[in-house]
Amino acid sequence: MIASIAWRNVWRNKGRSLVVIGAMIVGIWSLAFGSGFMQSFLTGYIQSSIKHETSSGQVHHPGFQKDYDINFFIRDPKKLIDAIKSNSAVTSVTSRSIVNGMISSTRQATGVKIIGVEPATEASVTELNSLIHEGEYFEGISRNPVLIGDKLAEKLKVGVKAKVVLTFQDKEGNITAARFRVAGILKATSVSISESTVYVLKDDLNRLLQLDDNVHEIAYVTSTDADDDAIAHDLQSRFPEDKIESWRELSPILVFMEQWMASILKLLILIIMSALAFGIVNTMLMAVLERVRELGMLMALGMRRTKVFTMIMVETIYLSTVGGPVGLLVGYLTITYLGQAGIDLTDYSEGLEAIGYESILYPILQPGDYIQIVVGVILTAFLASLYPAWKAIKLKPIDALHTI
Amino acid sequence: MSTIIKATNVSKVYHRTTVPVHALNNLTLSIEEGEFTAIVGPSGCGKTTLLNILGGLDHPTSGKVEVAGTDITEMKDSDLIDFRLKNIGFVFQAYNLIPVLTALENVEFIMLLQKENKKVRHQRAMELLTQMDIADKAKNKPSQLSGGQQQRVAVARALASKPRFILADEPTANLDSSSTSNLLDLMARMNKDQKATFIFSTHDQRVMDKARRIVTLEDGTIVSDTTR
Repeated sequence: MIASIAWRNVWRNKGRSLVVIGAMIVGIWSLAFGSGFMQSFLTGYIQSSIKHETSSGQVHHPGFQKDYDINFFIRDPKKLIDAIKSNSAVTSVTSRSIVNGMISSTRQATGVKIIGVEPATEASVTELNSLIHEGEYFEGISRNPVLIGDKLAEKLKVGVKAKVVLTFQDKEGNITAARFRVAGILKATSVSISESTVYVLKDDLNRLLQLDDNVHEIAYVTSTDADDDAIAHDLQSRFPEDKIESWRELSPILVFMEQWMASILKLLILIIMSALAFGIVNTMLMAVLERVRELGMLMALGMRRTKVFTMIMVETIYLSTVGGPVGLLVGYLTITYLGQAGIDLTDYSEGLEAIGYESILYPILQPGDYIQIVVGVILTAFLASLYPAWKAIKLKPIDALHTI
Repeated sequence: MSTIIKATNVSKVYHRTTVPVHALNNLTLSIEEGEFTAIVGPSGCGKTTLLNILGGLDHPTSGKVEVAGTDITEMKDSDLIDFRLKNIGFVFQAYNLIPVLTALENVEFIMLLQKENKKVRHQRAMELLTQMDIADKAKNKPSQLSGGQQQRVAVARALASKPRFILADEPTANLDSSSTSNLLDLMARMNKDQKATFIFSTHDQRVMDKARRIVTLEDGTIVSDTTR
């Protein structure tokens, strides 16, 4: 009956209770939507980085990444590629040769990272072909084609089919220069791709570097639900002479962003829940202070303070948990809809792309985030109920009964 | 008849202002089982204070109150709550029913606190409402009842816990003469039929006329104690 009385007490002042429940719904919805919106920024950035830059994991010679010395190539790339492919979670693999050098046009010259790729496997791993903004993906140019980013093209003042010269040191340390022709111009949110990386055919680069069939980097992608860290660690244990890293190890900034976003989400929950808690405490205190005589009467008749405490707590929890699920449901529906339709921020695309973000965001919230919100609501309801309930049991029946 | 309440040399001093107020002065009183006693006197004579102390709602400054042989003056507040539940029924001037419960649920509520099973609760509550001539309003909430009807529910609630005695503080103060007469007749009938002990404070002459024992207070002291 305590639960029944508590439930009826919630609806004594319908207007007031509905205002609090409404505030809960709006609060939880804004929390869910806000979190989903923020997650979409993060997820978009991470996915874009994984897709176009780090892939799910990479293999290098342990000394290569230190100063990009081209003599640090992977010892047995074929065996490694076969081992990677044998993992059922791996969907595609590619290999690259890499050297730092200069690119120059008739107007300008600048330092770039030159990556030699296998067009077909590179497209399946990084979808590099999808970034073609002008020209073709290594097509239309019969000899030494090169792909460059749009910002770099702008800087060099070159277009498709324009000649550029790549200069670098070969395996023996000799300065080598070769003429390339722009096959395509890439447009990407990644600053690295659009400004400081050029892509050539691996065979062309290896010939110029005198590397034969050696490669500096193997990159692979896995299915979305794969445990990239576990896969990398498994490969590392089998190939201890090479360095095999997942995207988390390759790009600590992404991990930092993940952790930072999780902290922001917790802070957001804390702020919104605190605001809701104060609203709930205020309402419940009013409800207690309005019923001082009644609470005094209950204790005079023989209702233990623990029961009075429970009754007020249950009332508060009812008040909180009626709004919580509705807010969560509305938030879920909003995120589900916008997760499909997307939020179009093309008006701000220039600014967003400049810092590596997509201009259409797809809000997303993981089950764990919903659980966090639910736990937050329950915890808030519990904590918010303590003070009014404590206030109620501090009443002395004799004084409470004589309250007007 | 056995003594249910024995108050010995009870004094109560309030220090709410700079001047102490002596609400009860060395008062001694015994109440026997089955009595129908009115505590009367002018406003401020200490009637409510006496009922509060007899009911374990307040502690005396000095003196001792025994209920059925148990000294309640030194009991902890938490123990007094249980003691009141088992031994004392209350009827308040302002009825003090739980507004969200029906008349029936209000009467059942006290038995729920006593952990009676649902069937017993319902049966006894209906019996009491019938005896108080208000069974037809069992499903009504207090706001749908008149003052007299609410007070009859309150008496039924007080009786529901099968207390050793019932304390009623000015039970008719908010009632019209017809409701007052009706309520007093019902209380007298419960006193006679169920041997329920009633102690009520009043300054209403109609109530005094119904009482078999009248204890008159003045300035916190008993000035007369008559039994008819």
